[in-house]
Amino acid sequence: MGKRHQRQRVIDDVAGVTVTGMIVATVLLLLLPLAMTLSMSFDARDYLGPFPPSELSWRWYEKFFADPYLVKGLKTSLQLATLTALIATALGVSAAVALDRLPGRLAELAISLFLSPLIVPGVVIGFALLLFYSRASLDDTFLRLLGGHVLITFPYAVRTVLAALGGIRPSLREVAQTLGASPTRAFWTVTFPLARTGIAAGAIFAFVFSLDDVAVSIFLSGPDRYTLPVALVSMLHANFDLTIAAVAVLIMGASIALMFVLDWVAGLDRVIGADYYKA
Amino acid sequence: MLSTVLELRNVSKRFGNAPAVSDVSFSVRSGQILALLGPSGCGKTTTLRMIAGFVDPDEGTIEIGGRDMRDVRPHERNVGLVFQDYALFPHLSVEQNVAYGLRQRGDARDAIARRVEEMLTLVHLKGFEARRPAGLSGGQQQRVALARAMAITPDVMLLDEPLSALDAKLRQELRFELKQILQAAHCTTLIVTHDQEEAMSLADEIIVMDRGRVLQRGIAAAIYHTPRTRTVAEFIGRTNWFEGKLGQAITPALREFASDEGRFVVAADAAIDNAIVQFCVRPERLRILTGDEPAGEGLNLVQGTLLSAAYLGSEIHHAVKLSSGRTIICIEQNRDQALPAAGAQLRIVFRPSDCILIA
Repeated sequence: MGKRHQRQRVIDDVAGVTVTGMIVATVLLLLLPLAMTLSMSFDARDYLGPFPPSELSWRWYEKFFADPYLVKGLKTSLQLATLTALIATALGVSAAVALDRLPGRLAELAISLFLSPLIVPGVVIGFALLLFYSRASLDDTFLRLLGGHVLITFPYAVRTVLAALGGIRPSLREVAQTLGASPTRAFWTVTFPLARTGIAAGAIFAFVFSLDDVAVSIFLSGPDRYTLPVALVSMLHANFDLTIAAVAVLIMGASIALMFVLDWVAGLDRVIGADYYKA
Repeated sequence: MLSTVLELRNVSKRFGNAPAVSDVSFSVRSGQILALLGPSGCGKTTTLRMIAGFVDPDEGTIEIGGRDMRDVRPHERNVGLVFQDYALFPHLSVEQNVAYGLRQRGDARDAIARRVEEMLTLVHLKGFEARRPAGLSGGQQQRVALARAMAITPDVMLLDEPLSALDAKLRQELRFELKQILQAAHCTTLIVTHDQEEAMSLADEIIVMDRGRVLQRGIAAAIYHTPRTRTVAEFIGRTNWFEGKLGQAITPALREFASDEGRFVVAADAAIDNAIVQFCVRPERLRILTGDEPAGEGLNLVQGTLLSAAYLGSEIHHAVKLSSGRTIICIEQNRDQALPAAGAQLRIVFRPSDCILIA
């Protein structure tokens, strides 16, 4: 073995160790705070004591469900997320189907337009909507929230539906047509059934993102209607206790459960895959 | 005389500035299997898509069953299309796939069931009704696609590279089966392929296309033995070329041909074009003389050095370097003959009638 090869080997080994180290560090950085939160949510102490907790209990979970302020937030959040998912998905399907039929250039332009809410910070969207709603005299808080949430989840719905449509070979639609199906019938008998899982995935995405949002909701909530994350933030300012940790764990649990459902209906790699622009 | 089912007259199509199909005319008779053969990009797939109605021709007319197809949309034409990837509906069972066209047409439920059964019997897939396409082998998927297209009793069947997605062995087996199925149902068929063996074994007649144009039409043997141009000769089968020019007549049927490999005798009658500057010999028409066996009377002889001999089981392929530096391929049947070693001096003979003269 030549010297050059030996040196190359050392370099490869060092690179391998470095990459592994970085992956481990990243995973720890992501997971440690979550693990801390999990353990804190079961901490029986009244104050933020040193880790690990000396005693475990369900008290923060009980406190959460006994608190009418937080439960009201949870209710609003769930109603809002469900409606948001339905509306954003319906809009997403219509948009994706239209995009699929537009010529290349125009479609690209339209996709950029549809995805643009993604690059505007939530705070900006929230503030802008607040001003807009005041001008438009839309006073119902729930409708205000719904509008905001549909706006921020719509790009995700479009993307997942587009990915699902992009995965359907054009030859399937063409063959359906040679067999006597008009383009519209070919859509409903072939394209739509095949895109169904992608559409369901889009709905779940929208639900999760709606449930999770703080930035937009904080501008649009009012004393009468507010989402759970907004309620948590204001609680954080008023009287801090570990109920927040318990709620965080509940939301995490719900998100993980939904991700499993998503993986089961559509396959996560297919949903988050890189084919969004294949319109 | 059988009636013409499909007719193209002076059909042209450009994509932007690039001509895809230029002035193509041909017809397919009822029950005939015709192959459009050519390299990728020769315009054969565009031609097929124009017949199916997915692409509108810029010029020319396409008639199916005597009816002009201008402004007739794909679902209003009665064509059966089998794609290279089969395009089976993955969410439907085999039975539902085959029934799809009949359903769109609004046939009665029991009529559909009868027709589906008939089709699955024809393609030997009885018992697979409830399967999903994903649970079928490539060959079975191909037959489902065929049955689905044939179920609607199309005026014309269009097959796009029907066997190329299958592995080599299966492809050979299915060729004969596919031809039998198409003939049994008396399907007027147009096959688009780049695979010469597929075209020759499946089709009654072949049209060779290149750069959007029809180069030659004929039965397989005619295209193989009397190609009109070098492109056709090189596309169908393998060729060994000799360049030079025609010399004087030896007999009314034989002419001299002077090349850098020496003088040859080629079969040519008085009507031959004097502008001919080349001829080719198919590799299997070359014969290697063994030992000091004499070259027979009236045969052409070339000498060269064996570069390599490839033992392929049924055949042995010899690459031989001639004195001019040109390499020729010589294919012999495997009859247990002794394999010459690389570097051996070989004497090779061929008949004047095996020389294919091309301008």
